[in-house]
Amino acid sequence: MATPAVHVVDLTKHYGDVHALDGVSLQTEPGEIFGLLGHNGAGKSTLIRILTGRAKPTSGRAQVLGHEVPRELEAVRGEINLVAEMPNVYQRATAKENLELFCTLYGVPKSRGTDALEQVRLSSVAGRKVKTFSTGMRQRLLLARALLNNPRVLFLDEPTRGLDPQSARDLHEIVSVLAQGGSTIFLTTHDMNEADKLCQRVAFLADGKVVALDTPRALKLGLRNEAPEVDVVLEDGSDTRLKLGEPRDAQQLQDLIGARRVRSLHSLEPTLADVFIHLAGRSLQDDHADEEEHKR
Amino acid sequence: MNLGRVLAILLKDLRDAMRDGRIIVLLALPIGLAVFYNATIEDDDELPKASVAIVDPAGGDVGRELRSAAGKSVDVEFVEARDEAAARRLVAEDDSAVAVIVAPALRGRPARAEVLVGADASPTAQSVVALVPDALTRAAGREPTAQTQVRSVAATDQKPYELIEQRALAVLIMIVMLAAFVAMMVVPIQTAEELETGTFGALRLAATGPEILAAKALAGFIYGAVGIAVTVAITKLDVHDPLLFYGAGLAMIVSLVGFGLLLGLLVPNANAINTYGSFGLFPVIGLAAAAFFVDSGILMTILDVLPFSQAARLMGDGLSAQQPFDAGPVAWAVIAAWALLGYAILARIASRKEL
Repeated sequence: MATPAVHVVDLTKHYGDVHALDGVSLQTEPGEIFGLLGHNGAGKSTLIRILTGRAKPTSGRAQVLGHEVPRELEAVRGEINLVAEMPNVYQRATAKENLELFCTLYGVPKSRGTDALEQVRLSSVAGRKVKTFSTGMRQRLLLARALLNNPRVLFLDEPTRGLDPQSARDLHEIVSVLAQGGSTIFLTTHDMNEADKLCQRVAFLADGKVVALDTPRALKLGLRNEAPEVDVVLEDGSDTRLKLGEPRDAQQLQDLIGARRVRSLHSLEPTLADVFIHLAGRSLQDDHADEEEHKR
Repeated sequence: MNLGRVLAILLKDLRDAMRDGRIIVLLALPIGLAVFYNATIEDDDELPKASVAIVDPAGGDVGRELRSAAGKSVDVEFVEARDEAAARRLVAEDDSAVAVIVAPALRGRPARAEVLVGADASPTAQSVVALVPDALTRAAGREPTAQTQVRSVAATDQKPYELIEQRALAVLIMIVMLAAFVAMMVVPIQTAEELETGTFGALRLAATGPEILAAKALAGFIYGAVGIAVTVAITKLDVHDPLLFYGAGLAMIVSLVGFGLLLGLLVPNANAINTYGSFGLFPVIGLAAAAFFVDSGILMTILDVLPFSQAARLMGDGLSAQQPFDAGPVAWAVIAAWALLGYAILARIASRKEL
């Protein structure tokens, strides 16, 4: 059996009285795209900090590629990388200089920087100062930096936040290609569609605990059993939502079909967002609203 | 610790500094002020002068050697006298403080000279007299069996600032300012900016926390060392003991950089450090300057235990042949103790912050 890419057992991390992680256990396999979802402050970033060797767990075990982190970080330093949520690149340096620094730090040839820039379609601006880049270009530069050491485990912390749809799609494509090549992708995101589309399995983290872990399909199916619904668009242009579990709604649907008044019928599959709201009590979008409120 | 990674981060820091207007200003300001003071302050602290009447049939070798032996302690001015009688007259009439009459055919024969001084010879004249045997021996082509060095000793009521040229003192204080700027502003700004923008976290993926901090400390030492060397070169500062002077300057930077890194970790806001940091530096520069003016009381006790005032004293000693402070091992120990304290606290805080 292959060594798990990430193996976490009963992991806790306390900051004083705050329990950022409270007995988290999970495992990811080589080549898997694994999603970690949760509200702000649920412990996602703390888990990534521990797995990338930048924080020590209070208790429990965290292994990356079979090595205990952060104790044996040096053994896996060249095998992992991270695309952070923050565009943490050197603004006064050029894209090329940014990557050359990390080529030196990772001990890989500087030509890897040129290749990585090509991979994220930034070759034409390699000599430009990063401070002149758009948000999307900076995010692509972050990804290029994360590709320098050809990581076997790539952590992505909200990689598409603030990106336009085209840039987000490009990033998804690159990530999918990496996973097909055997790299494990460990993704945290607020975007449920992104998680649904990309991830083979997702874990929901709430208050430092894993409250659900499965494939997106299994999680959605689990919720559908409780309340299957259909959206009915009528010939007159109006629409209505009916719950098939309710006898009155089921009869109404039969009547509408019998009267040939139905223009289209859409089964309402629960989304991952529905699953999350069901499990955590509020939507991840609320976090964005909170952030906006905080900014104001 | 991987030295290759330290070097890569160090080079990145140096390059980034040269592109950061704030840092260029912080490094250029003290050097510019040093140049300004150097150009505008006129010195009235001249060397004591001594007029020496000389009779030297050998052609002036003794005079040259005597001037060389006097070095920077006495400004010797020679008056050629035709014979002993003329030389005696010059001393008697107080036109010359000393007369040196060298015996003819000096080379290959025992060196001989007659020295005449007035009855009320000044200490400066007496110091010139003391140098004559060395000068004679050297003029005869031999090394003296024992070497004499004349150093004036400060009067007990002379303050250190009276023993250093005002121009040199101003430049020295600007060098302290440069060291303080480097250690307490440039290094913290670079550190804080890395934390603020998250690039510290990016580096931590590829390097250890101690490697990153070591690179930043080294960058501070380089800014300081180059800054001091440039200041001394541009101002043509006359450093009597370069080893002591530069050693003390670097030791001060080393001892302060630990605290500078600490400041950067604790206040991860580069603009705040840039805006308000200079206020915190006024006491540092003021207390370093006070070392030259204060010689008693509670302030003296405070100065005794501060690394920058001790470093200023050592640099003052390096600047003047008269060693105004004669600050020795205690000064070095104070600087070393602060350095150890700073890096120990830094290690503790960095560990607690999981850097």
